[in-house]
Amino acid sequence: MVKTVPKKLFLFAVLLSLALTYKLWVHQRPALVPAFSFKPGELKEHTIGDYSILVDEKDRVLDKMARAVYKDDEFIAEDNQRYRVTRIEGNKAICTPLGKENVSLEGALAPDLNSSMPAQAGGAKNLVAVYHTHSDESYVPTDGTESIPGHGGIFKVGEVFAAKLRSMGVNVDHDLSSHEPHDNNSYKRSRRTAVQLLSKGPAAIFDIHRDGVPDPDFYRQVVADTRVTKIRLVVGRENQNMNANLDFAKRIKAAADAKYPGLIRGIFIGAGSYNQDLSPRAILLEIGTHTNTREEAQRGAGLIAEVIPTVLGITPQPGPAAPSTSGDWKGVLFVVLAFVLGGGAFLIISSGGWDKALARIKQYTSIEWANLLGQRLRRPGNKRGDENEGKVLQYKRVPAEKLPNNEERKDWEKD
Amino acid sequence: MAGYPLGVLALVAVFLLIYFGLAQRVLDRLYLNDKTALALIAASLLGSFINIPLSRGPIMVSVNVGGGLIPLGLALYVLYRAGTRKEALRALAAAVVTAGVIFGINSWLMRGREPWDFAWNVLDPLYYYPLVAGVVAYLVGRSRRAAFIAAILGVLALDIIDYLVLAFSGVRGTVAIGGAGAMDVSLLAGIVAVLLAELIGEGRERLQGGPEVEGRPRTLLEKLRLSPAKKALGLNKKDGEDRA
Repeated sequence: MVKTVPKKLFLFAVLLSLALTYKLWVHQRPALVPAFSFKPGELKEHTIGDYSILVDEKDRVLDKMARAVYKDDEFIAEDNQRYRVTRIEGNKAICTPLGKENVSLEGALAPDLNSSMPAQAGGAKNLVAVYHTHSDESYVPTDGTESIPGHGGIFKVGEVFAAKLRSMGVNVDHDLSSHEPHDNNSYKRSRRTAVQLLSKGPAAIFDIHRDGVPDPDFYRQVVADTRVTKIRLVVGRENQNMNANLDFAKRIKAAADAKYPGLIRGIFIGAGSYNQDLSPRAILLEIGTHTNTREEAQRGAGLIAEVIPTVLGITPQPGPAAPSTSGDWKGVLFVVLAFVLGGGAFLIISSGGWDKALARIKQYTSIEWANLLGQRLRRPGNKRGDENEGKVLQYKRVPAEKLPNNEERKDWEKD
Repeated sequence: MAGYPLGVLALVAVFLLIYFGLAQRVLDRLYLNDKTALALIAASLLGSFINIPLSRGPIMVSVNVGGGLIPLGLALYVLYRAGTRKEALRALAAAVVTAGVIFGINSWLMRGREPWDFAWNVLDPLYYYPLVAGVVAYLVGRSRRAAFIAAILGVLALDIIDYLVLAFSGVRGTVAIGGAGAMDVSLLAGIVAVLLAELIGEGRERLQGGPEVEGRPRTLLEKLRLSPAKKALGLNKKDGEDRA
C-alpha cells in the first residue's frame, strides 16, 4: 500500500503535466469557442472572425467555415468535387482533391438489394424530427445579436423548415428545448432531446444550426428569384453511421441541386459525432451565417425542406419507400468488423493467448448457452430431456486428482 | 419500425445488439448474475421511454428512468456491496474526481476549442467521459467497480453543475437527467469505463507477467491460480493441496 501511493501520485503528476503542456500548446493555436460563457460577445463558435479557410495546393479558396477543421476532414464541394484536408497551417486547411463524387438520388443506393426489394406501400413513417443543439444561435441583422441564450433566432428558422414540411403533408416534431449553456456539453444535453425524438420513430432527424463566417455574401445566393442563404450539410465521421449519413446527405444534395441549383454549399465530413451515432438518417444543417438576415435563412430553410420528402420517400401519396443505400450496409460491416477485431484483441489480451481465447469462446458457447437452454429442457412435461430424467442418479465419488485436468473450466471460473 | 429501409434496420439492430450485449457482459461482473443483468438492460431500455418531470418553468428538470434512475440505482447498489469501507470511499472519491476532471476539461483545458478538439482530435466528447472515468478509477482503486461508480455518478454530477449554472445565470435551459435513456452518456460511460479498466488492468498484468503479489493480503492471493501468486504463497510444488 505504502509503495503504491507515491506511484499513483507520480501518475497523477504525469497526467497533470500532460494537461498543462496541452493547454500551453493549444494556446498558440487560434481559439474558437470559449467553453463556458453566457456573454454573447464571448460565444465565439460560429460567430466571430476566427474561421477556417479551406484552400487547394494553389491557394485557391475552396470553402470557409467557422468550425475548426482538422487533418483528414473531408468535404464535397458545390461541384461535387471531393477534397481531403491534408495539412493545417494556422487557420488555413490545405486540401487535396480526391476526385468527382457520384452525387445522385440513385447513385448511392445499394444495387443488389434494391432490385429485389418489393415496393413498400405507404413508404417510411410519415414523421420528421427537428431540434437545435445550439439553441442560442441567431442572425445579427434581424435578431440584433449573434447569440440569444435559450431563445435563438435559429428556432424560427427551424419553424419555417417544419412548416414547409407540414404543408407538404409530412408530420414534423419540432423540439424547442434549450441546451444552454453553449459549451462542450451541448451535444451531451441535446443527445437526450434527440433520443426522445427518435423514440417516436421519425424517418429522419435534423439538427439545425447556422455558421459563423463573417462574410454574408459567402452564403448568399439568389435561388428562384429570391435572396436566400446557402446551406451546408455536416456529417460526423466519428461514429458507425457515418457512411449511411453521408449517403443520406448526398441524396439530399442531389435532390436540391436538381430543383434549386446553388442552394447547397456542400457536404462537410468532419471530426466529431454530432449525435449521429443515434441514427443512420441524421444530418446537421448549417443554414447561412450569423451575418445573413434571418429572413434569408428562413427562405433557404423553406427551399431545402421541399426536397426532403422525395429523398425519404415519405410523400403523402403511397409509394415505394426510399431503399437502403450502400452506406447503410457499409455501416453494418463496419460495426461487425469493429466488434470482431476489438473483441478478439481484448479476448487474446485478457485470456493470455490465441489458444486460451479459443477455449474461452468454446466454453462460452457450450456452458453459458447450455445453461440457458438447459433450463427449458428440464421443465416438467418437456419430453426432450435425456433418458435419465426422473431417475435418481448414482452419486460417484471421484478423488480430485483422478478427474481429467479441466483448463477451460479453470479459465471460466476465473471470471 | 416497418417502413425503414432494410439497411437502416440492419445497421441499427446490429449496433444495438452489440451495445446491449457488451452492457450485459459488463453488468454481469458487478455482483449481478446473467439473468439479473439481462433484466436490468431490458428495464433500462423500457425505462428510456419514461421521463419523470421534477420542475417546470425556465429550467425544465426531469429524470429518465432508463438513463437516470436505473444507472444511479445500480451505482449505489455496487457501492453498497463494496467489500470494505475503504473501497466505497475510494469509489466515491473517484466519482468526485471524475466530475471535477470532466468539468475541468470542458471549462479550462478546452476553453476556446471545439468540443471534439480533445486528445488531438481523436475523440468526440461522447467518448471522453468514460475515458476520464476509467482512467480516474484505475488510478484511485484499479477496480472495475470503482470505474463503474465513478463514471455513472461523475457524469450524473455534471447535471447538477448544469442546473447550478443555469440557475445562477437565469437562462432558459433543460436538465434532463439521463434523458437519452439506455443511450445516455451516463450508462454508456459506466459500461465503457468498466471495459477500459479491464483492458488497462488485464493489459498491464500481461505485460508484467501476472498480477502484483507483493504486500497483498493472503486471502486475496489464494483466489489466484497464476504462478507469481503461487510462488509468493509457496504453493508451487503442491498445487492446491493445502486448500483442500
